[in-house]
Amino acid sequence: MNLRRTVTVAGVSLASLLLAACGGAGTDPLAEPSAGGSASSGGGGQPVIVGSAAFTESTVVAELYAQAIAAKGVQASTKLNIGSREVYLKALEDGSISVVPEYTGNLLLNYDQDATATTAEEVEQALPEALPADFKLGSPSAAVDQDVYVVTKEYSEANGVTSLADLEKVAADAILGGPSELATRAYGPEGLDKVYGAKIKQFKPYDSAAVRARDLNDGKIQIGEFFSTEAVIPDNGYVVLEDPQAMILPQNVVPLYRAEVASDATVTGAVDAVQQALTTEELTALNKQVDVDKADPDDVAKEWLTSKGLA
Amino acid sequence: MNVFDYLLDGANWLGGGKILDLLLQHLFYTAAAVLLAAVVAIPLGILIGHTGRGSFLVIGLSNAARAIPSLGLLFLAVMLLGTGAGNIVVVLAILALPAILTATAAGISGADPEAVHAGRALGMTERQVVSQVEWPLALPLVVSGLRSATLQVVATATVAAFASGGGLGQLLTSGQAQSDYPQMFAGAVLIAALAILFDLLLGLAGWGVARRARPRSRTAVGAAVAPA
Repeated sequence: MNLRRTVTVAGVSLASLLLAACGGAGTDPLAEPSAGGSASSGGGGQPVIVGSAAFTESTVVAELYAQAIAAKGVQASTKLNIGSREVYLKALEDGSISVVPEYTGNLLLNYDQDATATTAEEVEQALPEALPADFKLGSPSAAVDQDVYVVTKEYSEANGVTSLADLEKVAADAILGGPSELATRAYGPEGLDKVYGAKIKQFKPYDSAAVRARDLNDGKIQIGEFFSTEAVIPDNGYVVLEDPQAMILPQNVVPLYRAEVASDATVTGAVDAVQQALTTEELTALNKQVDVDKADPDDVAKEWLTSKGLA
Repeated sequence: MNVFDYLLDGANWLGGGKILDLLLQHLFYTAAAVLLAAVVAIPLGILIGHTGRGSFLVIGLSNAARAIPSLGLLFLAVMLLGTGAGNIVVVLAILALPAILTATAAGISGADPEAVHAGRALGMTERQVVSQVEWPLALPLVVSGLRSATLQVVATATVAAFASGGGLGQLLTSGQAQSDYPQMFAGAVLIAALAILFDLLLGLAGWGVARRARPRSRTAVGAAVAPA
């Protein structure tokens, strides 16, 4: 009797813990892919599933792709907020998604940790070789969403910090806050130490950019790591630290296709049109409409595509 | 990939943000939240149970409180007040409160009326009736309230990671962000183990309390009470 109760209670605790774990990032990455489609039937009206990473911009760009493709008469659906790179690349690999918005530099690093490319052109040249054979890259956009390190304006003025090269002198007392996965990225705490000689005191993982910004404003962390197109940066007047050694690779928005989808000219044509029309400023504005004005990514994408005559 | 990899690697245990550190944070949040909830809920439960007034409040409050999503409440607290251990403890205490409050109120109001009347007949003051008759009789139920509150909190303390508060939930969120399933597994196993451990310990405490309550009442009332 007592044992049975114990087991039941333990089970309930475990279940609620799992629920809590899944609640964080939206869609459960461990869930089985709903649509199959690993069998390639070579273009021609084959339905396209656009995936996205678990942050606003990726969601918005995925919506842009999907709606632009649908406007050309190809059946397109979305599978948003899949997770971080490791997770959605796995989804692309098993065919549960057919295209996903990516970023040139990080994509290269993901496949080639020792890549020597630093400029946008070098990265674009190195990428096709680094990618697995069944993945194809689309044409990169002018829109760039880079990882950036920021400090508050007050901190920047008080400590004379405007560049990553300045971090060396404050690092010993500075706590860095960034997304959990930054800890293992080449341009994370380790990169700061290796490239700029800045040995930061502590890295604090944050899963929410809003919480991170709050702590940066409260002085609980001194350096924050964000995406350059996140609205919290202009809204809080953060100082974006320069990167003179080009430690952080250029991150142009680029579609990553499964090979059999990339051979469909209707699909790539629709996506390329979006790529050409997109700029960093427009992307930041789109993000802001979703993050700050709480608009639906679906509607934001529709409005933008209509204004550009793409849908 | 072996799911035990992360747990078995000693390098993952010691140091800031490592397993031991997160485990201690988790224990701290749990203990502090249950303690805070108990400090508020037990006196309130005694008051409600003894006077019989406001029991509708208890039922309403506990039903409503169970519907509050802890994660949402936590984000609200962070946005309004900033991050910090204090806010996390308060959010978790709100979760723990209803279980302790209802158990205490039910225990006190459910105390054997004959024992209570006997106490009054002996000339006990209200204070003595509560402390010497109702409270000892309610204790097993109070402990079971603490037990279910602790279990809820130990499992839900995972949300602390979303407010950058660490705790074992960090292994889940970091593991998911990095697709490091052994790390997530380590978090899940440790939290489940902690929950089972707490349940056993508090179950044992409840058994001890119930056992202690019985023989004492037997000696007090005399041999007239049949042995259990």
